Amino acid sequence: MPAQPLNRICYVEDDEDIQRIVRMSLEKVGKMTVEVVGDPLVAIERIAAFKPDLVMLDWMMPGMDGPELFKKMKTNPDTKALPVVFITAKASQRELEELRRMGALGTISKPFSPRDLPEQLRALWATLP
Amino acid sequence: MNSPTTTPNRSSAPEKISLRQSADPRFVLADRVEQLYSQMPVAVAGTFAIGVLATYELREGRYIEIVLAWGGLVVLLTLMRIALYWSYRRSKDRIGEAAQWLRWLGISAFAAGSTWGFAAAVFFPSHADEQQVFLAFLLSVLVGGGIPIYAVSWPIYAVYAAGILFPFTYVLATFGNKLFAEIALIIPAFYVLNVGIAFGLTRVYNSGYRLRHAYGKLTEDYSALNQRLEQQLVELDEARRQVEASGRKLALFAERSPIAVLELDPAGRIQQVNPAAELLFGYPPSELAGQAVSKLILPQYQADFDAQWRSLIMNREPLTGLKLRNPRRDGISIVCEWTVTPLVNAAGEIVAIIAQGRDVTQQLEAERMKKEFTSTLSHELRTPLTSIIGSLQLINSGVLGDIDKDVLELTTIAERNGQRLLDLINDVLDVEKIESGKLTLFPEPLLLSELVAESLALNRGFADRYKVRLAASGELPLVKVNADRKRLLQIMTNLLSNAAKFSPEGATVLVTMQPAADGNVRVGVDDSGPGIPENFRSRIFGRFAQADMSYTRQKGGTGLGLAICKRLIEMMGGKIGFSDRGGGGTTFWFELPQQP
Repeated sequence: MPAQPLNRICYVEDDEDIQRIVRMSLEKVGKMTVEVVGDPLVAIERIAAFKPDLVMLDWMMPGMDGPELFKKMKTNPDTKALPVVFITAKASQRELEELRRMGALGTISKPFSPRDLPEQLRALWATLP
Repeated sequence: MNSPTTTPNRSSAPEKISLRQSADPRFVLADRVEQLYSQMPVAVAGTFAIGVLATYELREGRYIEIVLAWGGLVVLLTLMRIALYWSYRRSKDRIGEAAQWLRWLGISAFAAGSTWGFAAAVFFPSHADEQQVFLAFLLSVLVGGGIPIYAVSWPIYAVYAAGILFPFTYVLATFGNKLFAEIALIIPAFYVLNVGIAFGLTRVYNSGYRLRHAYGKLTEDYSALNQRLEQQLVELDEARRQVEASGRKLALFAERSPIAVLELDPAGRIQQVNPAAELLFGYPPSELAGQAVSKLILPQYQADFDAQWRSLIMNREPLTGLKLRNPRRDGISIVCEWTVTPLVNAAGEIVAIIAQGRDVTQQLEAERMKKEFTSTLSHELRTPLTSIIGSLQLINSGVLGDIDKDVLELTTIAERNGQRLLDLINDVLDVEKIESGKLTLFPEPLLLSELVAESLALNRGFADRYKVRLAASGELPLVKVNADRKRLLQIMTNLLSNAAKFSPEGATVLVTMQPAADGNVRVGVDDSGPGIPENFRSRIFGRFAQADMSYTRQKGGTGLGLAICKRLIEMMGGKIGFSDRGGGGTTFWFELPQQP
């Protein structure tokens, strides 16, 4: 378990409504600092600049989907070590297993509960060495 | 003639047996005895007549009393021989007792011969010359006449003739007359000659009887063989008709079949095609006949097909479900599913290969579209629901500040119904996955008690809404199962939420765990609900199953949950059911195999 508590979250999501709900959930319920990125094509730079504790990626996004962005993050020295949690509404069990094998910290299914989301993330954070 | 009534055992092995050997000795003996007895009336009548004549002729002279006594003896002997004949005729087992009857006949013949030997010994010396000549003549007739009567068994003739001739020879030899003494010397030679003739005749008779039996047996065999051949001919004819009818039917099936049928030789050359194949690939039969089947396979699939073909030729086993992309004559390629069957003859050689194919291009496209639709539906419905339910949860949780009581009531209703809609989507997607066989489980060894405890914790919030308490019954035993964790939690959630929904306020839903039959462990969820109506019990695990539609509206739920639970439990190797609880309520349970 990391020494510092989970505080800085970067969330890449194209749907503005969900962006807003997640931001409110993490800020209001979880008391965390949140950076939301709507365009996956500029996400790498924004993540590198924000220096989050954890990155949340949506699965389906226009231009570049979550798994592809995750692979790109793995090739970037500034982002490759960051823990990643996928938020998905459609991935099959097999695809989720594949992501875990690739190094994803976990997955959270849509629709998630904004009341429970901070706790779910903290539980995943606690599994890190 | 008495025919044999039983047939001796015959070997079915095709040994080469001579006609003489093939006759059963028991039957041959029985036939000889029958022949002897059939001549007995003539012999008895003849002997009796000669005896009466002799008595009459010899009455003049001395020893009239002895002559009369001898006549009486002849009568007595005649009666005894008639009795013997009568007994033989009434015998029920002449074949089995043939040897016994032969012995009795021998004794009778010896007695008859000895009677005449006695007459010769007593009356020859005591009577006048004419009577002596008469007696000698009678004895000659009797000895000579005995040959045809007893020739079937020479030993019988031998004892019969000995009975007559030996006393007579003795009398002649001791008479004191030189001529008689010379005759006495000739008589044994005469006896031997006669016995020799009888011996020869016996052999001829034996041979004849054997031949007759062998012939009878041959006739019997021949007739049985003929019958079998006729039967086989009838069967062959029937089989030929059936084969012809099957051939016509098969040709008709192939001709009218909507499935493409190709006949290939073992080298993979096309021999014949049916109209459906012409239609499918757009080639007339003349362009396909004699061509390699690779003409109908795209080059990139050729290597895969060649490997499958080699396996088919080697194993002589049909290939099924072989999907290949096949080019049509117009250049368009289609995907066909093939069943390829080798036809093997009795020597194990492949004589032809039948390939049956159907165009599954549209089917695959439909499956792809369905999958895409399901996936899109899943995403496009869940994404707005995430916003709806999420927003409502944030409002209802109070983190955004206090809101008006009426507004809160309405947003709570909206959240609950949003959740219902989500449950319905999830259940419909699960059912779709289960029915299309696309649901994959990820079983792992689990401590069932931990999973049950987790499910209780997860569902307490839901149960609180119904003012129902969830609890484990005592300490749950530490039992391991091999199951999909997420799906098992889904099953527990389903059973617990049902129990909470249908129990009255203030009730407790108890979860029990106990060993079950066949090494299973049973988890039971006891509710205090109204019980399962009788008319609903048989379809409770069916889809869209709810006892009363008014309940659905009142309690929520899609009616798919138990159907999904049943399928999931069965996929994990377990079973699911329910039972009434004494004193009201129902226990829903599932069983899973325990792991060591």
